[in-house]
Order: sequence, then C-alpha cells, then structure tokens
Amino acid sequence: MIEIIHPGWLSLIVDEGRYGHADSGVPPSAALDSFAYKMLNVLLKNPSGAPAIEAMGKDFSLQIYADVTCAITGARVEATLNGEPLEPWTSFCAQKGSILKTKAILEGFRYYVGFSGKMDAEWVINSFSTNLECRFGGFKGRPFVKGDRIRITGPRMEKPNTIHGKNIPGMKPPHVLRFVEGPEMKYFSRESLMRLFEKKAFSWYNVSSKSNRTGIRLEGEPLAFKERVKKSIVSEGILPGTIQIPGDGLPIIMLHERTIGGYARLGVISRADRDLLAHLKPGDKVTLEMVEPKEAEQLWNKKTQLYDAHQKHYRR
Amino acid sequence: MEYLRYGEDGIRIVFGDKIDPAINKKVRRYYLYLKSLGLKEIVDIIPSFASCLIHFNSETTSFEKLASYLTEKESRISALDIPEPAVHEIPVVYGGEDGPDMEFVVSYTKLSEDEVIDLHTSTVYTVYTIGFMPGFPYLGSLDERLYVPRLETPRVKVPKGSVGLAQLQTGIYTYESPGGWQVIGKTEARLFDHTTEPYCLMKMGDRVRFIKA
Repeated sequence: MIEIIHPGWLSLIVDEGRYGHADSGVPPSAALDSFAYKMLNVLLKNPSGAPAIEAMGKDFSLQIYADVTCAITGARVEATLNGEPLEPWTSFCAQKGSILKTKAILEGFRYYVGFSGKMDAEWVINSFSTNLECRFGGFKGRPFVKGDRIRITGPRMEKPNTIHGKNIPGMKPPHVLRFVEGPEMKYFSRESLMRLFEKKAFSWYNVSSKSNRTGIRLEGEPLAFKERVKKSIVSEGILPGTIQIPGDGLPIIMLHERTIGGYARLGVISRADRDLLAHLKPGDKVTLEMVEPKEAEQLWNKKTQLYDAHQKHYRR
Repeated sequence: MEYLRYGEDGIRIVFGDKIDPAINKKVRRYYLYLKSLGLKEIVDIIPSFASCLIHFNSETTSFEKLASYLTEKESRISALDIPEPAVHEIPVVYGGEDGPDMEFVVSYTKLSEDEVIDLHTSTVYTVYTIGFMPGFPYLGSLDERLYVPRLETPRVKVPKGSVGLAQLQTGIYTYESPGGWQVIGKTEARLFDHTTEPYCLMKMGDRVRFIKA
C-alpha cells in the first residue's frame, strides 16, 4: 500500500487512454506524456497498460508500505527517497516505510510515478485513466488528496534500471510545436498565417495560467480571421492536439478530454511533438511551426523507431 | 466520397456545412456503415452534425491505405440496411429551481412559460451528435419561436440532468459541469452510466420527445 502525504499541485491515475466510445462522447483522458508513461512501465517491468500516477508541481510526497521497486519519469525532478537524492528516469528499491518526495522541478512539468506491482485503480470503460470532469476511473474518479491510500497488489523488487540521459527527451522552453494544417486554416488572414509559415519570423506565445488538463491556452498576438468568415463552425469531431482558435484569435491546444469542438481548427500538433504538451507550464514561451503531413510522418517514424529501440533495450 | 486528412491519424468525411436533418441522415448512414466494417484499424469514430471523423491506428494502417480501402468498398453504403432510430421519452420538470433560465427564455421569446413548455414538448427531436461530455445529446431542431442565445457568461456549475436551450438546439447535461446553455428544466432520466453497458442510452440519429413530468 502507499499513502499520499502531499498530492503536489495535481496528481491522478492515468494509463494509455480510454478508446472505442468517442461516438458516445467519451474522451481518452490519457497520460499526457505517452513516452514517459510507457518507459515508466518498461523500467518497472509492468505490463504496458498498467496504471501510473501523473503528478504536477513540486512537493508531491508519499509513503510506501511495501518492499517495492519505484521509478519517476517525465519531467526532471529533484526527488529523494528517505532524504537520499534519486537519479531521473531510474528505478530504485524502496523498503517498507520509505518516504518518496519531490522537492523541485528542474525541467518539464508533469512526471510519472509508478511501482512494480499493480496499483489498485478503477477500471472504467476500457481504461484506468481518471476522467476528472465526470469523476470516474483512476482513484475514485478524482485527484489525490492527503491521506489517500492506494493498494498495490503483487509488489516486487526488480533490479534497478536506468534510461540514459541522452535518451530522455528535452523539455526546456522555449518550445517549438510543429503542426499540420487543420480543416479551417483558410479562415485566417494571409498576414496572420505568414507569421506561422515563415520559419524565421516566429510569433511567440506565452502559455496561459488558465491552461488545464483539457486544453493549453496561449497568449500573444491573436490570429486574425478573414473578413466575412464565421468565427465558429458547426460542431465537429476533434482529436488530441487540435489547435482551436476561438473568436478572440488566441489558440487553445486541446488535450485528451474532448471529442467535439465548435471553434475553427487551425491545425493539429504533430505526433512527434505531442508529448511535449505535457510539459508546457504557465509562462513558457511557445511558437507554432507548420509542417507538411509527410514531414510530420517522418518525424514520428524517427521517434517511434527510437522508442521501440529503447523499449527493446530496456525490456531485456 | 472525399477523404480528408485530419492530423496524422485522422480521416474526415464531410457531408455538408450546416445543421440539417437530411445531411445528418447521410452522416448516420456512413457511420453505421463504418461500424459494420468492424475494422480493427479504426480506434474511434466521431459522427457529428455534418461529418464523420475517423481516428485510426497509424501503426497498423495509414491515411492512404485506409482511404483507398474505404473508397473501394463505397458501393456497399447504399445497400446497407439502416435500422429505425430508437425513440426515447424524457420526463422533465420545467422551471423553478430546476430551470433557472426559464424566466429569461420567457422574456426573450415573449411567450408564456406554458407556451415554452408546450413548444419544447411538441417536437420529436433528432440526436444530431453526442459529445461535449459523455452521453450529452445535441438535439434539434427547436421550434424557431424558442430561439435563445447562449449565456454570455457560462455558469460555473450546471447540475446533472439539466435540460438546456442554445440557439436552435436543446441538450441534456449528463454530468455536473460548467456550461452556457439556457437551462429550462431538469430530468431524472439516466442518459449515461459508466458502470453498465450499454453506457450510453442514446445513439446518434435516435429520436427524443420531452414530456412534462
């Protein structure tokens, strides 16, 4: 069993996501940094869809009441086990009674905490992920609060394993987010779009403090709609990473909590840059850069090859 | 049929650009056809007012492969047997505490509360799409006399079961959430239950009739 001493800013249970019922409006609610989530389970020798804790902000701490192997991936955090510093993206053994703590976030925003063994989480509609808005899945459908106790079935000790620094993706701002054209790009004025096309004329945005797990809001120079163009659309399906532009012209990057949207869709963040969305924190500088679908595909293929190689290497 | 790219793992098929029963009927036929194919490569299908969005597994297929497969099979669409839509009767308590915007709707439409209720209960609506939250049906179209704008400032909390109006649509909140529809009543009907299959009471294309409870 583990007990939450302090939940940090927000911590909840996630997995690969909830799929197959988007036609009933059920969103994926997936781990936002899919690679970090996957590698956590690789390090812990857990099955690939095992539930994990996604945490945000410093001061997350918990006590472990079992002899178990743990790991933290995702954001680079200054973490300790019983006061001893821990290496990033490295599994470690914790004796019964140990206290795990994160003191500072060095790079990135969200991190993943897991244990060898299965965390007892609610399995709802094909997934362990927490749907925060509807309050189902994960741990009682809600974020953790102080004193929550989570059962771990079959805790084990595994040989510590590490993912080398060069294989940990960079998460430092400023962030360049590449995207492919969306259905309503033609709604925007030429001048507005030129800033996005001209790679040397980056238009910088700041991540707004109004961002949450549903969407990342950007602040900066608004995109201008063409004259005589409607500023909304008849609501349509959207996928994670969709860049919506509401009437005020400021982009909202949708994460994994909506299946339908009614705003103009400028584009969709390339899959290669999707995990980075987990690490955009208020105040970070962000720029959008358009790429052709072919280029996005190549970027993704390169990334998946790397992922596969890591998985094979570390699963041994 | 035109197959459009949506990001790297989406295909979009567009049937029109407005809220229209005839267009939505085409979406429904195509959606049911896609489901009938039972393709493992398709992760999710999101049918809406005038389009279908397919989320596919890019590890097992690609935009080109899936689009050409779907093109090849297109002739089957017209032959597909389309089931009659189900009809749901939803009892609603109108006005009072359960319908905090009834007063506004009455003053905006210049109708009496009884007239608003009569008009709302006299149409058999179509479920154009389901989304915004699990199980939330977008129902249309409202009698034009019931046209109201959305709230200028959305409410922070709209209770589960609230029945709202927005422009020419009406909908039902399946979970407590923030929202901008004008709430005129509340239902106890269970539209979505994540603990039991089938999770969702309604399917797109179904019909809904409100009854004064």
